Formats: sequence, structure tokens, C-alpha cells
Amino acid sequence: MAIKRNSLLFLAICVLALAPTGLPPYVMTLLTEALILGLCAMSLDLMVGYTRLLSFGHAAAYGLGAYAAGNLLLHTSIPLVFSVLLAALFSGIVAIGVAWVCTLASGVSFSMLTLAFAQLLYAVAFKWTSVTGASDGLAGIPRSPGPFGITFFQGRAGFYYLVLACLVAAFIFCRSLVQSPFGAVLRGIRENEAKTLSLGYNTRRYKIAVVAISFMLGGLAGALYAPFAGFTNTELLFWLFSGQVLIMVIVGGAGTLIGPVIGAAFFMLVSNMLSSWTDSWALFFGAIFILFVLFAPQGIWGLATRWRSLSSTG
Amino acid sequence: MDFLGFLVTQCLNALSQAALLFFLGVGLTLIFGIMRIVNFAHGAFFMLGAYVGYSAVHVTGSFWASLIAAPLLVGAFGAAFELGILRQLYRRDHSAFLMVTFGLTLIMGEAIRLLWGVAALEVPAPKSLSGIVFILDEPFPIYRLFLIGAGIVVAIAIWQFLERTRLGLLIRATSQNAEMVHALGTDVRLVRSAVFGIGCGLAGIGGVFAAPLVTASLGMAPNAVIDTFVIVIIGGMGSFAGSLIGALLVAFVQVFGTYYFPDLALALMYLLMLAVLVIRPGGLLGKEA
Repeated sequence: MAIKRNSLLFLAICVLALAPTGLPPYVMTLLTEALILGLCAMSLDLMVGYTRLLSFGHAAAYGLGAYAAGNLLLHTSIPLVFSVLLAALFSGIVAIGVAWVCTLASGVSFSMLTLAFAQLLYAVAFKWTSVTGASDGLAGIPRSPGPFGITFFQGRAGFYYLVLACLVAAFIFCRSLVQSPFGAVLRGIRENEAKTLSLGYNTRRYKIAVVAISFMLGGLAGALYAPFAGFTNTELLFWLFSGQVLIMVIVGGAGTLIGPVIGAAFFMLVSNMLSSWTDSWALFFGAIFILFVLFAPQGIWGLATRWRSLSSTG
Repeated sequence: MDFLGFLVTQCLNALSQAALLFFLGVGLTLIFGIMRIVNFAHGAFFMLGAYVGYSAVHVTGSFWASLIAAPLLVGAFGAAFELGILRQLYRRDHSAFLMVTFGLTLIMGEAIRLLWGVAALEVPAPKSLSGIVFILDEPFPIYRLFLIGAGIVVAIAIWQFLERTRLGLLIRATSQNAEMVHALGTDVRLVRSAVFGIGCGLAGIGGVFAAPLVTASLGMAPNAVIDTFVIVIIGGMGSFAGSLIGALLVAFVQVFGTYYFPDLALALMYLLMLAVLVIRPGGLLGKEA
């Protein structure tokens, strides 16, 4: 079964890798954005799906990465690849402080604190003009070449491969993380934190670690978005974006890593389809989200795997 | 400028702001106390109150009529949502509520945009309250004085309602031990619907009161919901007195912060909250961390 699933994933990656050869530029742009959002949603899944830390402030991770990468690319000549990685690291380091504060509370209060922290960053981004460009944001973010004069990642297809490589690497990293003893402790926290604590695990330290890792990968997604779009604005830090990422995780299937990526693609697809014939796509999306929480809390991927296991057992 | 006059008017300003925030905070904390759920859509109910109030003023021509109609309609909508959807979720963990009410926020925001349009809507204060008075030679709007009075009246009314009436008794009992109340022959599900409706109705009153100050606009919901969360976290989830203290603290920090540190005003509110949480993780009057 595991081998079969691995080969399916390998097939999916191969299809994605071949995409630039057949798809028109417009679709490629959408697909690149979907993969970036997928990476962001997958990073949130570490918190939401595996540790039941319901963060309403994942926009903070995305925005931190995007603004850090934007500043590095605009004001230094550090190559694109390194800028993106540095920005992700920056987001992860900031998250240690954030997590230290937010994990003082648990449950609902944790969610509120993450929301408040993201809004704090949003407020700061509006005022700190020299770094964030305030409401104008940062514009004209280049895809700096190098190292060794490599210009491959500057083109549409090359950048797509960079995003795909980041997503696949992050997925492999996350999957080995959740299968490791560290991941077992996270699941212990999810199921019963008091019991895990009494087994001798310092659960708060584990929670801080998972928030930092999640922010680092979310920051990576944001750092990819900045050179992808060529600009950043405060929308990236707004609470609405946090909510959208959470929707992607839940609709795709929390606690599955692959589900949130599918959720992000689904979100892109549906919002593009809906916005072509109605302005009010948020209306439908809110309704779809409520229906998923009510009737299919396991998400698209959960439904798919259940259906597959039912059909294989007859 | 006379410093004393400035200080007094700023304090009155903060008190009127606290009254508005209290309408929001007390509703959220009541709902949390009974159901252990956080209503993310609380800001959306506040916004709905402002828009319904605007329409009620236009239909009836009276601000006072809208003050009665809007909370009733908003409260009824809230209770209906609880009956129709939230009721199915009590067996699930709290994240399900947060997510469903987030979805409701999206839907309400978009529905309000479709029904009332994107433009901000002016709601005039009633004529008898629209002037200014001079307090120690500083001009001060009468409407804000009225808000302070309204806040005090509503706070006392809720307190007496919780202490003296049968429904208030049931609400307090349910927040302590819902199963026991159920076993003693009261339909707890009805209490929950009622509380959810009352909480949403209170947010609706807040919206009607706020509309003459800030106009009814689509940005109301997110701002309101975050202020409300901050208040309730500072005061302690589920505590009536806590929501009052939280509203006062946040209002004073907002008003004086905006004056003395205009660049940091927003950050100050969060810093206050963080300081409270580091000292008392459950909030000032909260029971649980």
C-alpha cells in the first residue's frame, strides 16, 4: 500500500514536472501560484493537522517571508535561490519568539493570539514605510541571477521548477518529520496534551519547535511569492489570507500534508471559475467551507482515500 | 490648551469607546461562558447591526425604532444560525466552531455587500443628541455622552438579568454544569440558542450605536472582531466583569495611545494583551488558562 502510494506521488510529481512543455503561459502562472499556496497550506498543516494548534495567523509567516525576500532582492545582489532560503530562515527565527508568547495560552486563546500577532505585523507593515513601502508595498522585485551566473530560474518555466523543487523538498521533509519520534510527540499533543506532558515530554518546547518549522516553510512560500508576483503588499499579512490558508488545509484534508496542497489547488481553481461569472465568490466559498466542516471534516483527500480503501476491500 | 479640560474630554472619549467595545465583548464572553465556543462572526453581527440600523432609520425615520429593531433582527438571525448549524457541532472540538463561524463571516460580509453596496453609509445621530456641549471649555459631542450612559444602562441591565431572572439563573447554571441543568429538566439546547441570540443581539446594538460615529462600512467586521477578542482575552474568557474591565482598558489604551504615540497605537493594544497573558494566561478574571 505504501509503495503504491509512493509511486502515485512520484507519478504526480512527474506530471507536474512535464507541465511547462504542454501548458499555455496563463495556466502555468496559475499553476505556479497554486503550488506556492500549496506549500503555504502544507506548512500550516503541521500545526493544524498534526498538533491541533489552530493558527489564525499564518499570513504572518507568508508575509514575513515575502517582505524579507523582497528586501533582499531589491537591496542586495544575493542570488534568488539564496534570498528565498534566507527569507524562510528569517521567518522561522522570528517565529520562535512568536511561539514562545502564543504557547503561553492553549486552545481558543492560542488561535486568538496568533491572529493578534499577524494583525500586529499588518499594522507595522502599514507604518514602517522604509522597509515595507506601507500601503504601496514593495514593487519591481527582481529575480536576481546567480550563483555562477545561472539565469535558469528567471524565466517562467525555470521559476516554476524552483517552486516545484521547494514544494517537493518541503513535502519530503515534512513527511519524514511527522513519521519521526518528533512527529509522534506532536500527535501525542494533538490527542491528549496532558498525557503527553505526564509522560515526560516538555510539550511547550515541542509546540514552539513545530510553530518555528511551520513558519519557516510558510515563509518559504511567501519568499517565493515575492519574486513570482514581483511585488508585495499588506494584503499578504491580512487576516483574510490566514483564513483562506486555513480553508485550504481543512477543505483539502488536515493531517495529511498532501491534502492541503490539493486544497490550495482546489481553492485557486474554484475562485478562478467563480470570479469569472460572479464578484461574490467569497459568498460561495464561505458556504463550501461550512459544508466541508459539517459533513466532510476529513477533507477532499480524506474522502478520496476512504473511497479508495472501500473500493479496494470491495 | 487647558490640560485638565483635555484630560477630561479624552477620558470621556475613552469611556464612550469602552461602551461600544463592551457591547461586543460582553456578547462574546456570554456565548463563550455557556457554549465554550468562540464566535468568529461576532464582528459580522456587529456590522449587520449597523446596516440593519441604517435601513430601519430610513424606513421608520426614527433612530430609537432602529435601536429596537436591529438587535431583535440580528439576534433572531444569530439564534437561527445556532439552531440550524452550530447545534450539530457540540460533539466536535472547538476548532469546528471557529471554522464554521469564519465561513459565516465570509458569507455575511459578501451578503451585506450585495444588499447594501460597497459605499460607506452615513447614519445621522438623532437630532436631540447631535450637538456639542462644552466641558471645561473643551467641545464634546453629546452623542458620545449618550453612549457612556447607554453603556452603563446596558451593563447594569445585563448584570441584573443574569442575577435576578430565571433565564439568567439558567444561563449561570448552564455555564457551570450543563449536564446537571439538563438532568434537572431544562432543555439546555434552548438556553444555548437563547444565549447565542442574545450575544449576537448585543453585538447588533453595538453596531447601531457605532454607526453614527464611524458610518456603516464593510471594514467594520474585521476591526471589531479583533478588538473584541483582545478585550475578552484580557478580561478572561466567559467573565462578565472581565469583559467590562477589558473594554475599559482597551478603550483607554486606544484613545490615549492614538494621541501620544500615533504610530504605535495599534501595537499598544496587542502589547497590553501580551503583558496580561504573560502574567495571567487565563486573562485578568478568567478561570482557565
